[in-house]
Amino acid sequence: MLLKSVNYVRPESVSEALDILSSNEGAAPLAGGQSLTNVLKHRVASVDLLVDISALGELRTITRKGDGSIEVGACATYDEIDHSPDVRAGHDILAREASHIEDQQIRNRGTIGGNCCLSDPTNNLPPLLVALNATMNIRAVASTRQVAAEDFFKGYFLTALEPGELLVSITIPPIPVGAGAGYVSLSVAADSKTIVRAAALVRVNGVIEEARVVLARVASVPIRHYAMEEALRGVAPTAESVRAAAEKIGSDVEPIADGHGSSEYRREMAKVVARRAVLAAIEEGGRK
Amino acid sequence: MTEQGTTHVIEVTINGRLYSRTVEARQLLVHFLRDTLDLTGTHIGCDTGSCGACSIILNGKLVKSCMMLAPQADGAVIETVEGLAQDGELNPLQESFSRNHGLQCGYCTPGMLMSAKALLMADPHPTDEAIRLALAGNLCRCTGYTTIVAAVRAASEQPAESSSTPPALGSGERAV
Repeated sequence: MLLKSVNYVRPESVSEALDILSSNEGAAPLAGGQSLTNVLKHRVASVDLLVDISALGELRTITRKGDGSIEVGACATYDEIDHSPDVRAGHDILAREASHIEDQQIRNRGTIGGNCCLSDPTNNLPPLLVALNATMNIRAVASTRQVAAEDFFKGYFLTALEPGELLVSITIPPIPVGAGAGYVSLSVAADSKTIVRAAALVRVNGVIEEARVVLARVASVPIRHYAMEEALRGVAPTAESVRAAAEKIGSDVEPIADGHGSSEYRREMAKVVARRAVLAAIEEGGRK
Repeated sequence: MTEQGTTHVIEVTINGRLYSRTVEARQLLVHFLRDTLDLTGTHIGCDTGSCGACSIILNGKLVKSCMMLAPQADGAVIETVEGLAQDGELNPLQESFSRNHGLQCGYCTPGMLMSAKALLMADPHPTDEAIRLALAGNLCRCTGYTTIVAAVRAASEQPAESSSTPPALGSGERAV
């Protein structure tokens, strides 16, 4: 397909990329391009200048810190995350989820930063990063700031990034002792667009001491379900108590309806995937 | 920068040969291969990154060439389906596709071959599940995939240094 005319530049550093992004209205970063290229083909967004950040080594590093947290460069590809010993060592669930995004070709190009910055409600990684309490590290020409993943996703294809800002990396804190993570999707077919999904981080010490339960595809962005989290706190980590807590998901969520399911169906299935994600998290935490 | 978009001089090594061309920023890599260089073995199926007919190996990684811009490939080393056969001899994967009926219309075959090649580079003796996962990004509307999986499996079972070419089925020229 012939794209609309566009300008292209491949900066040598993040600083140069930021200079270009801040001084050119209509400039947009090009990371793996596995969504943006189609956006350009379909002409649903107008970009004057593509700033190709995909080859910048400083955006591709994956570093495990002394405190057990991991910092993943925004341009690390799904395949690099999948095969990173550092990710596998402490945040296996991130590697597992990255390992089956789309197909091998897309995993070789698509990036974690692009997955987040597109803020497509069907994307795999945003709900997981919210559940894992990740921090988005953002740079502008003369400033840096950090935004909790929970506050980063603002709406359909909308994030907290301001013009001229670039997501440079994502920091995920260590999974606490006694905690595990779970992630369950309901899809039409394996790896097709998801109907509803849930991610959970649960810490057990005899009883459930802390739970983060994130639902995706029930709203424009991943949402924590605080009522279910509260209902889990202090209860035994059993199937019965988790089932009861999932019943807190009710009329407070109003999922979209589409050809794959009504709003009511999605709400009922949200209970199911939330329950399963929490149980998976409890099981994983118990194995460690 | 201009109203027409920037142009870029890029150097790309494809199947061992260095090409230097001036390209528009908006040119997709697959069009650079097919239209600019006349390497039409790489096919365009869906043009949306779904079908895998345009799959190539770029700097050792399997990618869809319709999902990249030509200037992004500047400096890259690329392998396309044209690089598989040597001196008129099909490579073992191509031979195996032929022997196992791993193609009918052949449209998806260049992408299938490159995906299979990338798999066997990383995992010379894959399980059937690994073969199926490796081909998940390549659509075939003819074969039902079974014969393609069989072709990749058979190619993977060949001795690594085998110099013997299996006898050809039938006669005549086979274009792959």
